[in-house]
Amino acid sequence: MKSVLTYTLKSCTKCLKCIKVCPTGAITLIDDRVNIAHDKCINCSKCAIACHNKGIQSKGSTLEDIKNYDYTICMVPSSLISDCKSIDEVESLFYSIKMLGFDEVVDISDVEGQVLNEAHLYADMNDEQANILSFCPVINRLISINYPMLENNIIPINYSSEVAAKMLREKYKVKGKVGIFNCCECEAKLALAKYPYLNEEFEVDHALSIVDIFPLIKANFNKGKIKVDLCKEGLQSCNPSMMMVDKDVLVSDGFDKAINILEHAEFGLLNEFKLIGLFPCFNGCIGGHLLWGNSYLSKNNLYSLIKNENKEISKLPFEMLYKEDLMDKSVDKRSIEDKLELFFKISKKLDKLPGYDCTACGLPTCRVMAEEIVRGNKKLSDCKILKSMEIENVG
Amino acid sequence: MIFNESYEVLKDDYTNAGTISSRIKKTLASIGVSSDVIRRIAVASYEAEINMIIHSYGGTIDFQINKDNEINLIFKDKGPGIKDMEKALTPGYSTASEKARQLGFGAGMGLFNIKRVSDRFDIKSSSEGTTLTIGFDLK
Repeated sequence: MKSVLTYTLKSCTKCLKCIKVCPTGAITLIDDRVNIAHDKCINCSKCAIACHNKGIQSKGSTLEDIKNYDYTICMVPSSLISDCKSIDEVESLFYSIKMLGFDEVVDISDVEGQVLNEAHLYADMNDEQANILSFCPVINRLISINYPMLENNIIPINYSSEVAAKMLREKYKVKGKVGIFNCCECEAKLALAKYPYLNEEFEVDHALSIVDIFPLIKANFNKGKIKVDLCKEGLQSCNPSMMMVDKDVLVSDGFDKAINILEHAEFGLLNEFKLIGLFPCFNGCIGGHLLWGNSYLSKNNLYSLIKNENKEISKLPFEMLYKEDLMDKSVDKRSIEDKLELFFKISKKLDKLPGYDCTACGLPTCRVMAEEIVRGNKKLSDCKILKSMEIENVG
Repeated sequence: MIFNESYEVLKDDYTNAGTISSRIKKTLASIGVSSDVIRRIAVASYEAEINMIIHSYGGTIDFQINKDNEINLIFKDKGPGIKDMEKALTPGYSTASEKARQLGFGAGMGLFNIKRVSDRFDIKSSSEGTTLTIGFDLK
């Protein structure tokens, strides 16, 4: 999976905020340019939020892509629906999206509901370990990079957008070349599609950023309606406090809390929970960074909309829900001798560095600096702290 | 010895419980040790670190890697010593204080779990103190 975050040189003031907030050390400043490493970036968007100059952004596919298909379908996840205060507004929203040129606009709350339901069933059957919900690509990637010990705790259930896209492609296959678009509420979901970021493994063809298309949607608002039925379980699945939580289920929102939980889980201290759901965004997916509304009010909207629910969860065959190779698991083929040799070399260099992790050199930590010195890309004198101490000593 | 790090553990320092084990775990991850081995070392070091905080007068943890690609963790405390070693190694047996139990520690599985997950296990105890040495093979 590739990073969806791109950097704009002209907006950059080299403040290093993005480097400091990146949880996986994916960002470096080399030769006065910010680099985002694809193999480490988890699309959490912390850097985009931290940048006060809008220097880090993400874009979705364009509506131009509609032309490339015989029949186009736009999926709308519950998180987007949370911006609507009433079912009338939801129906107006669906109409506005259809007017952008789609043949069909589909609510997928029934699939979201089934996916969450299946995760509960999976957890009941595998209660000897703490099973981690797999609905957030940020959490899955974070685990595979920073907490690989927990890779096998992730429930191998596919993303609801993928399950729904498979179902829709099957349903509409007589229509010719079907293009499936997904409206995304956050950066991470933009990566769960073939385009624009060329992640071929996904069933969804195009990921649209809601920020990009919102002005166009707004132009058609209140001009018509499409009948929409919503599924309660799906609406609930995008907010931690609305999810059906009972004993032995742990649900949290916020990035720091997710990290705290993963740290505990690595020591095996949370095994008495059979199911763990981690939302890195505040208030869950309704707090997605690309959504314009405020997520506290959105939650209230969801409560109102649930009263109108009249669609049951979908009943797709369970083999459609599971995906064994959900994540590209980390494989390190080096021998332990090679790993240790490199580690000792790095440790020796690390002993010479100040250990402040100040990022002034453009690298996220002194350890990364030590690694780069060993690789020959940096010198000890590139450390700003050591440099200033040298000047003081001479002076 | 090619690598050695020493950490100090204080008696009743519950607020820092697990911080040394976290550091050891992170170091192992940065080496690239396989998940299965890190998991066993993390569980054992956490249990042993907590044991020192709850039961001992404090001491040191040594984290060593030798030239045979073995990891040794040495937990050395300053007393009071384990009175009945056989009982201490029995699952479910605990002498933890009420305070420790209230904090969620002291289920009596500590030493038993440590022995179960480690490749080598040695414990020596007298009133002068206890030294627990556990070893793991890196593959």
